[in-house]
Amino acid sequence: MRISLRSALLAAAMLALAPAADSQSPAHAQAQQRPLVWGDNLPASLDPHALFDVPSQFVLLNVYDGLYRYQGNPPELVPWLAERHTVSEDGLTWEFTLRAGAKFHDGSAITAEDVVYSFKRLLAMNRAPAAAFRPVLRPENITARDERTVRFVLSEPYAPFLAAIPLVAIVNPRAIQPHVRGDDWGAEWLAANDAGSGAYRINPETYRPRNQLDLERFADHFMGWSHNQRPIDSVRVRPVLETSTRVLALMRGEIDATDSYLPTDQVERVDRNPRTRVARDESMRVFILRMNNRRPPFDNLDARLCFAYAFNYQGFNEIILKGLVIRNAGPNPNNLWGNPPDLRPYNFDLNLARQHCDRARAAGAPLGREIEIHVQTELEQTVQAAQMFQADLRRVGVNLKIVPNTWAGITSSTTRAETTPDMWVHWVSTYFVDPENWIGQMYDSRFHGTWKASSWYRNERVDDLLTRARTSLDRAERERLYQEATRIVVAESPDIWVYNTVNLRGLSRRLQGYRFSPVGSGGELRSMWLEN
Amino acid sequence: MARFVLRRILLALPALLGLVVLTFVLSRVIPGDPAATLAGDAATPAQIAEIRAQYGLDRPIWEQAIVHLRQVLTGDFGRSVFSGRPVVEEIAFRLPATLELTFAALLISTVLGVGLGLVAALDHNGPVDHLVRLLSVGGLAIASFWLAIMLQLVFSMELDWLPLRGRIDPTLGAPPDITGFLLLDTLLAGRLDLFWSALRHLVMPAVTLALPGLATIARFTRSGVLEALQKDYVLYARAAGYGRFRLAAIYVLRNAITVTVTQIGLLFGALISGAVAVEAVFDWPGLGTYAVQAILSSDYKALLAVTLVVGVVYAVVNVMVDVAQALIDPRVAEEMS
Repeated sequence: MRISLRSALLAAAMLALAPAADSQSPAHAQAQQRPLVWGDNLPASLDPHALFDVPSQFVLLNVYDGLYRYQGNPPELVPWLAERHTVSEDGLTWEFTLRAGAKFHDGSAITAEDVVYSFKRLLAMNRAPAAAFRPVLRPENITARDERTVRFVLSEPYAPFLAAIPLVAIVNPRAIQPHVRGDDWGAEWLAANDAGSGAYRINPETYRPRNQLDLERFADHFMGWSHNQRPIDSVRVRPVLETSTRVLALMRGEIDATDSYLPTDQVERVDRNPRTRVARDESMRVFILRMNNRRPPFDNLDARLCFAYAFNYQGFNEIILKGLVIRNAGPNPNNLWGNPPDLRPYNFDLNLARQHCDRARAAGAPLGREIEIHVQTELEQTVQAAQMFQADLRRVGVNLKIVPNTWAGITSSTTRAETTPDMWVHWVSTYFVDPENWIGQMYDSRFHGTWKASSWYRNERVDDLLTRARTSLDRAERERLYQEATRIVVAESPDIWVYNTVNLRGLSRRLQGYRFSPVGSGGELRSMWLEN
Repeated sequence: MARFVLRRILLALPALLGLVVLTFVLSRVIPGDPAATLAGDAATPAQIAEIRAQYGLDRPIWEQAIVHLRQVLTGDFGRSVFSGRPVVEEIAFRLPATLELTFAALLISTVLGVGLGLVAALDHNGPVDHLVRLLSVGGLAIASFWLAIMLQLVFSMELDWLPLRGRIDPTLGAPPDITGFLLLDTLLAGRLDLFWSALRHLVMPAVTLALPGLATIARFTRSGVLEALQKDYVLYARAAGYGRFRLAAIYVLRNAITVTVTQIGLLFGALISGAVAVEAVFDWPGLGTYAVQAILSSDYKALLAVTLVVGVVYAVVNVMVDVAQALIDPRVAEEMS
């Protein structure tokens, strides 16, 4: 009995000592100088040319600069490292003039040659951000005209070129070249180091992949700091994996910001806490249920319409997601140009769904077979949408089977129509702000084999409209072409478009100056400061 | 004894080789193509094929297997498909975190488990015995992630005694990086403030992870002690005037503990796998969270390396357990030789 008591006392003592020591810890003593603790996810690599996903935008926006940058909401494309650009009448030759006086973190000046190197590196590495440029840009066609002028000659006109320019970080070749191994362009080194010019610089000593990143303010950033009287000097990025832990950590003050996809059922809780709040910002991120249009029954228009009418949009958006999203009628986000003003969304109408299903069955569509919908298990909303849909489809005699999967698992299966699932659930986020990012890459058949075009929709008229919209430099004409393409696509219902996201980021109330833009999801730190 | 140890090590090698082959085959049959994910949104099938060739993913599986085996034998696990960094480097940072957590949990479950098992056996069918049995069932039945969240709610949110997550307070500055074991490194650097922070961060994850193991050890110790208490030598010892606890601690426990030691070896494997959930809830930057990230992103190089490293650690611990058993009971070494 004594042994047991001793053990219990030992455990109790460990816990009892904790609060006593807490008051002596340097955390309290240094509370005034506490850095910002950012609880959002980190990318797998810090190399801005290696990956392009939402977490890597954080590095791109804070550690690096591009020629142009999106600011605000709705996002406006503003000159950044470049002070202006010109484009030839045929849309092929683009020239960017660099701002004078911009410097990399090592103090060296940013020149046109550095921009050329950066684009060539991007194209040679051929990783995610390169996909937007490779079809129209060859390395030999990127040249420095003088120290401050860069020229790009495209192989065909490509109107979204400027919109995609912010994807490319300008890197410092002098920092990278000593670490190049073979033909890796210094990728191994840059995955954990800094070759940027951005408002913050990385501390490579303390960096731990996907786990911790420490940033220090770069006082010599070319945009200066006059816009912010109390900029944050030190930032500790500490991703929190579990939703529950993330919310508790914010409420307890261990982190100052969560990711920007706070679950809707946590919003009220965070808002109620006197130390925290939720920033709500309409983004450009469309939630979609895909249908494989090559595979029966989805090669039948009536079958697709049956599914489009069988989804309970209001129930999902208003009840399950508590109204914290905005109904989206088509593939482009509502708040983007290129949408027809009179575009009407599909409504939940089981009678209409039943009629279309009956018509599809009469035409031989195999609606009696089990339809598989793949969900991303780790993303609860995809599961919730599928479960709700499953129940409603049962009422029109369709059996939906929910298949757990991962993003990587699904996207790798969408390279061929035969391996693409019947249905799957995902979002299309903002990579660049142009309809090309949504309808252009989702419904032009030239993109078949990519996950964005994984409904395998084909309509020659739509292909033609989207090609013309992509190559025209006349914004009014592009708008008209996208509107027409959108009308056709929505009428043919290749997918089910559910909502446009309202980004929900939990923030500590001491964090001020948070500015949201759909590109980067509000992760740009230079405008932020901390109240004591 | 040296022959015994050598024999145990040699026996572990074929198991590890089997593990390398099996994990490689499994990694290639599970769905997911890293090349497609790496290529990005608008990549064409041709671009994806180019990346696949770049990583050797287009080669026949047997050729890939040989390359993999050769790399493993030279200690090269390749580069993470996503981070582009050597997997060895990424694991080198994560492994000590997991081992620190696992050893702390093992220590808690062993010390408390053996202690509780012993007092339960000595109070056979008494109130302490019933209580320990109840705790044992509870310890095995309670899901780790549930317990983790409950501990967070009570000790962090309500009582504000312990930190909620992570391995150390990020606002205290960078901890020293000597061995990767934070408790040790902070002590070596003479940074008691950081040591205290690291210790406080360790308490809840270690207790959560320890509970199922504690229950198992308590049950095995209890039954081992009960069995030993029936032996004749115990009767003679009692007749010779040995006190109840002295008898139990010196003679009975040593005879009863061999089964428990075997369990500790098995338990280590369970602790490492159990660490996945615990690490996720407490944001513990160990191999568990690394493995989850690798699975979600189809980073097969990272996944293969994690599996092998865990296998090696498990094999090493089992050899150590065998040696410990032989030291406790020399008959074991004789039988195994």
